[in-house]
Amino acid sequence: MTSGRQRRRVVPDYMAAARLTVPEHISVQRTTLVYIAPDAATNGLDPPGSHLLALLRDGPLSVYECAAHLGLPYCVVRLLVAGLVGGGTLLTRDPPATDLPDIEILELVLNGLRAL
Amino acid sequence: MASALSDSRVSAEHIPVKLVIAGPFGVGKTTIVGALSEIKPLNTEEVLTQAGTLVDDLTGVNEKTTTTTAIDFGRLTLPGVVLYLFGAPGQTRFQVLWDELVRGALGVLVLADTRRIDESFAVLDLVENAGIRYAVAVNHFPDSPDYPLESVRQALDLDPRTPLMVCDARDPASARASLIALVEHVRELVLS
Repeated sequence: MTSGRQRRRVVPDYMAAARLTVPEHISVQRTTLVYIAPDAATNGLDPPGSHLLALLRDGPLSVYECAAHLGLPYCVVRLLVAGLVGGGTLLTRDPPATDLPDIEILELVLNGLRAL
Repeated sequence: MASALSDSRVSAEHIPVKLVIAGPFGVGKTTIVGALSEIKPLNTEEVLTQAGTLVDDLTGVNEKTTTTTAIDFGRLTLPGVVLYLFGAPGQTRFQVLWDELVRGALGVLVLADTRRIDESFAVLDLVENAGIRYAVAVNHFPDSPDYPLESVRQALDLDPRTPLMVCDARDPASARASLIALVEHVRELVLS
């Protein structure tokens, strides 16, 4: 697969988040699940934003998957997502914040893996 | 590029969980992510630089001030949780990326190759320094020497409690067994 960075882009990567107001505190991570807010206005976005929305029309994806599919660096898509979350277009499901894993999550993972 | 539209999707009710698979180049990280993932594994490049990745497009710049490294990414949806697998090289020069990748991760599966056991030391150093829970799986290649696991444990200077097993990275069942051993180990540590 050709990575997005191997091609020289006509529009530089950083433009993807250029016109968005990005909140000062960003909690978006690689594994944050992102999906379209039910009542979001989805028109009038810049091309990167509308590409992202087209990608999410089928359901939630992690930010990292979005970056790979859009062919943009993760650090840019992180800002793009944060900006659209701030504007109310996207919603997120954040990964658990604690460093010590929750025992219930561990059990879910174990049972799930064993059942495969 | 893989078509995202043909991929299955998770629901927003799933809890995202991160697992990191680390090891030197050529140890089988791409293979094991492929064996475990339900989607066609995504191979992305991470740009490593201290600042300026947002404003500098470094393509075509001769004096390269960043390093890119390939990350393998896969997904495995289980009831209630979605596992995200990150296959990352474990070189100390990737420290910044490494710290970020393991933050919040459930644990790290370190892949080792007994033909080049010394290359695993840098990875183990990173894992130990990060204080993250881990297990070690020896990826068995057809020409791998058959060392007893006890000597591998000694060679790698592993704690007696750290799970150590042989796996075949190409085989989904074997790859899953390694993950199960890792998660069981993490559970024991959390419960103790």
